[in-house]
Amino acid sequence: MNSIVSRAKELLENKSVQVIVGFEAGPTGKARPAFVTYPSKTDILIFDERCVQNLAVYLTKKEVKQFGKIGIVATLPIMRSIMMLISEQQVFAENIEILGVSTEGKYLDIADIQVMQGYIEKCDLSNPSNDQETLAMLNKMSMQEKFDYWQNELSTCIKCYACRQACPMCYCTRCAVECNQPQWIPVQANTHGNMEWHILRAMHLAGRCISCGECGRACPVNIPCHLLTMQLADQAHKYFNVYAGTSEKMSSVLSTYEPNDKESFIL
Amino acid sequence: MARIGVFVCHCGENISATVDCGKVAETVGKLKHVAFSTDYKYMCSDPGQTLIKDAIKEHKLTGIVVSACSPRMHEPTFRKAAAEAGLNPFLCEMANLREHCSWVHEKNEMTTDKAIDLVRILIEKVKINSALQPIRVPVTKTALVVGGGIAGIQSALDIANTGHKVILVERSPSIGGHMSQLSETFPTLDCSQCILTPRMVEVAQHPNITLYTYAEVESLDGFIGNFTVKIRKKAKSIYEKDCTGCGLCTTKCPQKKIPNEFEEGLGFRPAIYVPFPQAVPNKPVIDREHCTYYLKGKCKVCEIVCPTKAIRFDQPDEVIEVKIGAIVIATGFDIKRSNFFPEYGFGKYKDVIDGLQFERLASASGPTSGAILRPSDGQVPKNIVFVACAGSRDPAKGIAYCSKICCMYTAKHAMLYKHKVHEGKAHVFYMDIRSAGKNYDEFVRRAIEEDYVNYIRGRVSTIYERDGKLIVKGVDTLLGAQPVEIVADMVVLATAGVANPGAEELAQKLHVSYDSHKFFAEAHPKLKPVETNTAGIFLAGACQNPKDIPDSVSQASGAAVKVAALFSQSELTREPLVAYVNRTSPPMYSTCVGCFLCQSVCPYQAIEHEDFKTRDGKIIKTVAKINEGLCQGCGTCVALCRSKSIDLHGYSNNQVYTEVVALLNDY
Ligand SMILES: Cc1cc2nc3c(=O)[nH]c(=O)nc-3n(C[C@H](O)[C@H](O)[C@H](O)COP(=O)(O)OP(=O)(O)OC[C@H]3O[C@@H](n4cnc5c(N)ncnc54)[C@H](O)[C@@H]3O)c2cc1C
Ligand code: SF4
Ligand code: SF4
Repeated sequence: MNSIVSRAKELLENKSVQVIVGFEAGPTGKARPAFVTYPSKTDILIFDERCVQNLAVYLTKKEVKQFGKIGIVATLPIMRSIMMLISEQQVFAENIEILGVSTEGKYLDIADIQVMQGYIEKCDLSNPSNDQETLAMLNKMSMQEKFDYWQNELSTCIKCYACRQACPMCYCTRCAVECNQPQWIPVQANTHGNMEWHILRAMHLAGRCISCGECGRACPVNIPCHLLTMQLADQAHKYFNVYAGTSEKMSSVLSTYEPNDKESFIL
Repeated sequence: MARIGVFVCHCGENISATVDCGKVAETVGKLKHVAFSTDYKYMCSDPGQTLIKDAIKEHKLTGIVVSACSPRMHEPTFRKAAAEAGLNPFLCEMANLREHCSWVHEKNEMTTDKAIDLVRILIEKVKINSALQPIRVPVTKTALVVGGGIAGIQSALDIANTGHKVILVERSPSIGGHMSQLSETFPTLDCSQCILTPRMVEVAQHPNITLYTYAEVESLDGFIGNFTVKIRKKAKSIYEKDCTGCGLCTTKCPQKKIPNEFEEGLGFRPAIYVPFPQAVPNKPVIDREHCTYYLKGKCKVCEIVCPTKAIRFDQPDEVIEVKIGAIVIATGFDIKRSNFFPEYGFGKYKDVIDGLQFERLASASGPTSGAILRPSDGQVPKNIVFVACAGSRDPAKGIAYCSKICCMYTAKHAMLYKHKVHEGKAHVFYMDIRSAGKNYDEFVRRAIEEDYVNYIRGRVSTIYERDGKLIVKGVDTLLGAQPVEIVADMVVLATAGVANPGAEELAQKLHVSYDSHKFFAEAHPKLKPVETNTAGIFLAGACQNPKDIPDSVSQASGAAVKVAALFSQSELTREPLVAYVNRTSPPMYSTCVGCFLCQSVCPYQAIEHEDFKTRDGKIIKTVAKINEGLCQGCGTCVALCRSKSIDLHGYSNNQVYTEVVALLNDY
């Protein structure tokens, strides 16, 4: 991706940004995040099918923010995350530059947030097709079967909170699970407490999940926890006709009320 | 160490008939940290309260649980008793053994067990309660009255006469409202203008009243005692200080055929106009929608003739911001027009008119100088039909309610007609005659017995025109639903009273509730008919539901007293049961991350931004802050905040958690 490299070089050279967040090839051949601060180092930047991580998670980290203005290599899920972070006042549009990558893997020239919004609006925002299939299968199950499925999956959770760390929308400096007055969620990993944690995480992301699937990829014990938040993303679209991360002014579905909101799910 | 006292009330037999109060007191008396426990017939009685106060002192109690009725009833009583005994009132909790237990269960052991549980959880809660101090907020002693009909006028005058400043905002060019359009008023038949205009003048002259006509509320922020309102003063296109009100411009304006709103379309007015001769203020405005200059770019005749050069074509709207402490909403009502009725010709027949049009015809200052004449040909109608309940009490038309004023003004109209057209015949179709009120039924009887108005009980199904006459078809239900057909010269529809256009928008701007008909909603239908759900905002007149002048005026005075009572204090105290966003030491300052999702969820706009800055003013972090004056303690933000940075005084996460755990634990 020469255009990413040249654009990154240009941005760093004319001091439009102080750091570029992108991908580089790691020693084992996997892609890993790169933080480039010198124009001369931009050659390490790559983009190919290995580059799936949601880099937006770094935008709220103080170690990255301290550099100043950030340029970020952004695929569709990353763009949607940036939108969410702007709408939730965690990132300010004037502090970032977007080095866009289209869903086909092509470099996209994105001048500002409005252009980015225009691009997002043109894309298919539903969940990835393989996840849609699994969700369809799960949704066919009875209540009991579903419960058993998740109880079984979540019993192996070791509460490492990798899912939380990988998610750009989990930017709280103190997570609810770290709150011990009172201790709503138990510290130790046990099936019951694990379920409480995952329900809490899913609810905190209801209507905010942008379907990148990063949490599921991050899980060291392969729990498909991304399906929980993706299911809620589906529901948010079904009931309120919104996809998260499509506008910088959007307020969370769960925190707003419109007179024509459907209420069919309220008993 | 905690020393808790428990006081179990029998509420006469209300609780003790199903709950074994003695057993409750005895069981919880054995729990850890319970220093005193007893039961008594009426805790709220004087001896009951004395028992509590004595126990607090004697046993050095650090918290009490009064196990009685709903805290909605007696929480203030017991909190006050606790305070009198030297215990912080927020260290007193109430377990509701009546509504939550004895009234909803049968007498058996489980009921008593449940009562014990209800007391137990509050014992655990009160142990970790903290002493809270009431919140004090200052009061801006200026009132805003929105709407200058009789209700707004009365409220403004009453408040102003208590010595407080009032800002009266009226949307149209003059105050007066619908009352200024009426001819005579029931039940005394005195001239409406004659009794109204002195009040209008008083408003204009009152040193405590600032009047803004042709103005509307743009937005409202703040809370009881501390509102900030933005008022849009629409451009009148004249410089009022120079205008002498001579009226020359209004006679020279070339636009002469604009339907006159004040005359309900029965007359015309120019583009620069004063709505009616007694208008307050008596200075014209230019209706820019119809003015030739604004439409075509030339004319300016008024500017040429104005002897004081008061015309200002380039005047902009002006938005002013004022601080106020209380608001009275008095924006009145409107009526359905005849075009609402397909069965009566959709307003197509000129001689089918509505009640306000009849008022204008009967008014000495109206388009016919008080003569009852048909709008179509100016003839005196010999046969006139009044249709009561046109639209009202008709669920099929979406108006299920009774408009309340129509029975009375229909009787008035029939009488006025008979007094003016002695040989004429007046018929009234009615569903029921609703004439409750002082001298009201006597008034209707007079119409029937002394003025020989023909009252027919039944509905009118259709009206159509034949040979210049109106054929009114209905039934007489008192004669066994016999069909009736009247060949009339004129028909007056007593159309339903409805909410004013723009009422919904105003309600949203002022953050007050309204009902499904867009009338403003009172806080309680019986005990708080003048209050809205928003503290510091009151209602007066027909904006709440159609009502007559005496009712509007009484409510207006009621609202004024509420405002005066509020203004009699220099500070307001509020229950401190409000939310707060936590604060920690720098560099974190708070666990709040400033997502402000709480801000969008708060129904009371109580959440603000707070910046933490370095010494040279650079913002380090922006976090949420609760405005204690506005917060109603609903807890919605607490539930929403993902980082659990918000908590509620008196109902903290910890307190609620403790209650739940207490319930799960054995005792
Ligand atoms: C045909 C008819 C005959 C009647 N006859 C009688 C009678 O004989 N006796 C009797 O007791 N009652 C009678 N009434 C009832 C009487 O008209 C009302 O009781 C009275 O007008 C109510 O006064 P109000 O001030 O509440 O409302 P209104 O008179 O409606 O005044 C409301 C005022 O608020 C202003 N306003 C509205 N919206 C806004 C806004 N958003 N911002 C600023 N200003 C605003 C309006 O311009 C108006 O000036 C009659 C009613 C009708 C329809
Ligand atoms: S929801 Fe919580 S974290 Fe977000 S702004 Fe409000 S208090 Fe702060
Ligand atoms: S408790 Fe309710 S009223 Fe108070 S700030 Fe939170 S949401 Fe607003």
